[in-house]
Amino acid sequence: MLCLALALFAMQSGYEAVHALPPRAVAIRADHVWLGDGKVLDKGIVILSEGHITDVGTDIDIPAGMGTIEHKGTLTAGLVSLHGYSGSPGDMHDDTRPDLPGAKVASSFDSTHYDFEDAREAGITTLMLTPQPQGVAPGIAAIVKSFGNTIVSDEAMLTLVFTENGLNQNREPTSIGGAMRLMEQMFQSKVPVIERAADGKLPCLFETSEKHDISRAIEFAGAHKLHGAIHGVPLAGEMADEIHAAGLDVIVPALGVGTERRALKAVIKLHKAGVRFGFGLDSPFNNPAVLRMSAVMCVREGLEPQVAWTALTSDAARLAGVGDRLGRIERGQDADVVLWSGNPLDLGSRVEAVYVGGVEVPGDGR
Amino acid sequence: MIESNSPCARRIDDRDPRASEGCARKSGSRTGRSGKAALFLGVLALTMPRALGFDDKDDKDAKKAEPKAWIIFPEHVFTATGDTFDGGMVAVANGKIALVSRNREGDDQGRDALRCFAVTPGLVDASVRITSGNASVEQATEVEPGVRVASSLDPFDIAWDRQVRSGVTTVLVNPPDRDVIGGLGVVLKTAGPESISARTLRKDAVLRGSMGNQPSYGNHPAGRGGPTDLFERRPMTRMAVEWAWRKAFYDAAAAASDKSKEFPGSDRLISALKGDLTVSIQAWATQDIRTAVFLKEEIEREAEFKDGLDKPHFFLDAAAEAWKDPAMLVRARIPVVLPPFSPDGRTGENAFIAMDTAEKLREAGIPFALSSHGSAELQDRLPLQAGYAMQGGLPFEAALEAVTTIPARLLGVADRVGTLEAGKDADLVLWSGMPFEPSSRVIAVIVDGVLRYDAREASHAK
Repeated sequence: MLCLALALFAMQSGYEAVHALPPRAVAIRADHVWLGDGKVLDKGIVILSEGHITDVGTDIDIPAGMGTIEHKGTLTAGLVSLHGYSGSPGDMHDDTRPDLPGAKVASSFDSTHYDFEDAREAGITTLMLTPQPQGVAPGIAAIVKSFGNTIVSDEAMLTLVFTENGLNQNREPTSIGGAMRLMEQMFQSKVPVIERAADGKLPCLFETSEKHDISRAIEFAGAHKLHGAIHGVPLAGEMADEIHAAGLDVIVPALGVGTERRALKAVIKLHKAGVRFGFGLDSPFNNPAVLRMSAVMCVREGLEPQVAWTALTSDAARLAGVGDRLGRIERGQDADVVLWSGNPLDLGSRVEAVYVGGVEVPGDGR
Repeated sequence: MIESNSPCARRIDDRDPRASEGCARKSGSRTGRSGKAALFLGVLALTMPRALGFDDKDDKDAKKAEPKAWIIFPEHVFTATGDTFDGGMVAVANGKIALVSRNREGDDQGRDALRCFAVTPGLVDASVRITSGNASVEQATEVEPGVRVASSLDPFDIAWDRQVRSGVTTVLVNPPDRDVIGGLGVVLKTAGPESISARTLRKDAVLRGSMGNQPSYGNHPAGRGGPTDLFERRPMTRMAVEWAWRKAFYDAAAAASDKSKEFPGSDRLISALKGDLTVSIQAWATQDIRTAVFLKEEIEREAEFKDGLDKPHFFLDAAAEAWKDPAMLVRARIPVVLPPFSPDGRTGENAFIAMDTAEKLREAGIPFALSSHGSAELQDRLPLQAGYAMQGGLPFEAALEAVTTIPARLLGVADRVGTLEAGKDADLVLWSGMPFEPSSRVIAVIVDGVLRYDAREASHAK
């Protein structure tokens, strides 16, 4: 009873990783271990302990008494979705005013929402939750785990809106010119969160919906020496050289089975130009399964499989500023691990188990 | 027809250095002993382009066109400087016009060149609205002098290509006239790199606003309990629109000498009062034209506008009824831009324009430009407007100036575009027949030295 009360209390408290039960140390031996960044280990052993990956190798000693799981299939790091509104239907913007740069998505999402269960079932262990692109600066994105009420970062990226879809005809600004004027004014002001972005301490999420929005975002980023990622245009890759020159990353919107080939070719252009990119799921508007599908669609068009996988995991984590902690199977990284029945870039493969922070999470795999 | 696939060009493409040298020498010797031209043509032969292909929309890499060297042998050259001659040649290099000559150096047969019936400068339209829509005008208040229309424009839109195909190479893009003072227009090339800033010829070229009924459209009085949306506000009538104009300028004049009275965009209004920033006012009907004239005269007269704040430059856009009282415009020294002619003569705000309106303005001595007024309709394209004006009695030279030099001067870009002269931007239109005749076609358009439209490549008129 006391245990349960403590657990409930823990669930409600703070931003730190808190779990209902402490993670059990476990060794997993898998046919294939995808370490990340294109490296693969056959017959590899991964040890998860205290919420972290504590050892990886082919001939490591499994400590006496530690349970060992034999997995016929592939072990990878959990997938990272870079854009979406999971667990917070309708709560991720406030349209009464265009500038709320300090508003935090981290304060609005429900970590027990079934959106996260859906995400786990698709192998997604980390999500960047983003303010809806309304107004000029609607708030700050958060990085959360799909299980355990864990907020990895409550100040991941500052959203800046460059799309006319964010305008509202009933309050200032009604025009892109007015929005740009307001954004300039914001950067002249000394609001702390804007200062952090201007000083390069906080990356920006440039919300766009047309290619010309990207030109404007690049110009603004250059003028204020901002870094971060451009989101919202499937054809962003057609401007890959300009984006690369500006030193920005790209969050590609989810690419479903119906995606036109021009958009898939654009993703390949991003890679060729050396632009770092990941995928944004836009959950709950897209089913979480579409995240893996996005990478598979690009592979079908000719993207190297390891690049597609990197975009789903390690590059996505780096883009979100948490690459040292997430996205790879490496000693010291968080124990966010997915066991697949086969090659995860084969849509015939399914998720058999998911570990978030070392805890095997409930799902439909078992 | 234009021809460019001489054996010479093909051999250069095969990267056979001996062949290119041979070609260069050959064209050099053909140009005879006029040293400068010979050297020039030698360089041209070496750099002659390979193909004139329009690129796949899909593939951006192909769009990064470099300016190329061209020789054009037209049957007639219309320079728009008042100088018109038969034969001769125009040469283009490094994005600029390098040579306009009455003499065709040597034998032009067999040399790699563009041939056409006539060549004119690229046309200039002082009133368009390509991709400028609802998101291009800030409606937070009715006076927004500081907002830039350039922020909202989309260089990837097909509408730019359509302008190029009709021979228009430079345009002033205005915000929609939903405010009394709607912001800053921008002068752009219609073709070039896929970015608005790279195509900009003149940033913040005009301060744009409107008289008449259009700015008040959609405004309404506040309901019980006060306003709940932006449009519960002034102005709701012509009178209030004019009041908003005067208030803006009087407030700006006050702000010029008292920093505490500054407001967003007051600096732009002060520039306008000083004549550093041209004001483009939409005024279709005769009463709106008169209001604009009176506004200028009031600024020039009243004591509040002192210390150089009494020298505004206005031009009236869409001034269909300028013909009704031209003396007023002459007196106030206000040039006009005419809207497209319409089949029944009725234009915006029911103002009347006739085929002979342009000719009447010429007789009255009012500088005027013709325009498409942002219309995307086929019958409103700029070359046809020149044709209609000529049907109303306007001489060809005056029609040509009304779509080249005059709008270029109104927009403050006459040093770069508007005429065929050495040193100007290489913006040229090649015609199949006499320009502006209904049976003539634009067969090629060069913008900044790049062949942007080639009729041979067009599968159908777009």
